[in-house]
Amino acid sequence: MFLLLGAVWQFVAIHQKSILPSLDDVGAELLSRPGFYLSNLWVTVYAALIGFLIGTALAITLAITVIHFSFLRSAVVPVALLLNVTPIVAISPALIVAFGFNAVPHVIVAAVAAFFPMLINAMSGLQSVDPQALEVFRSMAASRADIFFRLRLPTSLPYLFAGAKLAISAAMVGSIVSEFMGTSHGIGATIVMATTYLNLNQMWAAIFISAISSLVLIGLVDLLEKMTIRW
Amino acid sequence: MDVTAPEGFSVPTVAARAEAICLNRICKSYRRGNSALAALTEITLTVEQGQFVTLFGPSGCGKSTLLRIVAGLEPHDGGDLSLFGQTPLEASQQKNVSWVPQSPALLPWLSIHANVLLSRFINRRADRRPHPERVPQDAHEVLAEMGLAEFADARPAQLSGGMRQRAALARGFILGAPVMLMDEPFSALDELTRDSLCWHLLDVWERHRKTVLFVTHSAGEAVLLSDKVVVMTPRPGRVQAVIDIDLPRPRTPEVAESSAFLSLVSEVKKKLRIGRENDA
Repeated sequence: MFLLLGAVWQFVAIHQKSILPSLDDVGAELLSRPGFYLSNLWVTVYAALIGFLIGTALAITLAITVIHFSFLRSAVVPVALLLNVTPIVAISPALIVAFGFNAVPHVIVAAVAAFFPMLINAMSGLQSVDPQALEVFRSMAASRADIFFRLRLPTSLPYLFAGAKLAISAAMVGSIVSEFMGTSHGIGATIVMATTYLNLNQMWAAIFISAISSLVLIGLVDLLEKMTIRW
Repeated sequence: MDVTAPEGFSVPTVAARAEAICLNRICKSYRRGNSALAALTEITLTVEQGQFVTLFGPSGCGKSTLLRIVAGLEPHDGGDLSLFGQTPLEASQQKNVSWVPQSPALLPWLSIHANVLLSRFINRRADRRPHPERVPQDAHEVLAEMGLAEFADARPAQLSGGMRQRAALARGFILGAPVMLMDEPFSALDELTRDSLCWHLLDVWERHRKTVLFVTHSAGEAVLLSDKVVVMTPRPGRVQAVIDIDLPRPRTPEVAESSAFLSLVSEVKKKLRIGRENDA
């Protein structure tokens, strides 16, 4: 499949130079200045990771709260939904105005992007306990802490990891998109700069490494999942 | 004989002590819109200490609801009940009730050994001053009795359905509560497995002699296991008849083939049929 894609790509690149650069040119571009790409990639990944941690931590905390105080659910979910349907690109300029030309707006956008998938997964995970196991716990007058740590949390782990995989790639997208504006560092900025100079090689080199790094991040979460969930 | 009451408990007479579970005119109804649907009407029942009593009846007769009320998992609307002189709430707070659900409900992330020891880790406050009637059992011993000794380190997913249910029974016995409540624990199993599980349960129960309230919709199972079969009929849930099972213990395969056994099974079924005909 990848070979076929590559062949089609090369065919287009050779016949329509303005649409796609050839793959070997992109490769050569990447190898000619690896330091430039890696330093920009690190800026993006760093913002995505911090945003991911903040967003998922908030989402899990909120999910736990909502599970235990069900009246909060109808208050929280619409707000979370509203946050989710607001286009990330639209809030990014507002955040730059608010927080200035530094990493904060990018981290916030990544956190917002990571928040929603994690919230939804954490809520369904924490609610997915086996009702009969819950009755065994209740028949012994188990405390809320017993039920949470010995039943709800382990039950929800597969859901939390599924949410984390969605959240980390969403955080990467958020981080890159937010760099389209107000910064000259990061993969997003690199793509925008390449557009201005019509430098197709640079643009696609940046796109490729961002895709690959997203894959690597998802793979890391996957690895963590395999190490944690052994049943 | 002089019985001294343990701290916080009143044991008035020796005779009262022998009554492990007392239900007095228990009522329960569910609200459906504006009307109330009677699920149980005036259930009165006494289970003596060390007795194995079965609630038998078709689905919808409220036998599981009754069991859940005894376990304190559901509130009741009228009447009163006690387990060794305690309310269901007090009994569950002291871990004096062992609940065996319909499905094994084992925790998939724990080994069988850790699963059957669940009661040791939950509600530890109850263990600081354990109720004298509750004697926690050794996990390895009970697992061996259940034929699961070699599977102590396995995870639930590696076991067959029958073995998982055996582990769930083991979890119940290891708690060591004086009252065990079993809600159709064999209903999800095939007939051969149920049969062998019945014998396993009888065998282990003979050794522990707990007071058991068991729910089933199999007449054969009810007669084979019990000292007393309570036949219940639906709409509204009520006790149709209580049949004493005076077959010798320990129950052996010969007992299960005897004519006395077969006539008791047909008597139980007949009582149920009469109840239904009165309904129609």
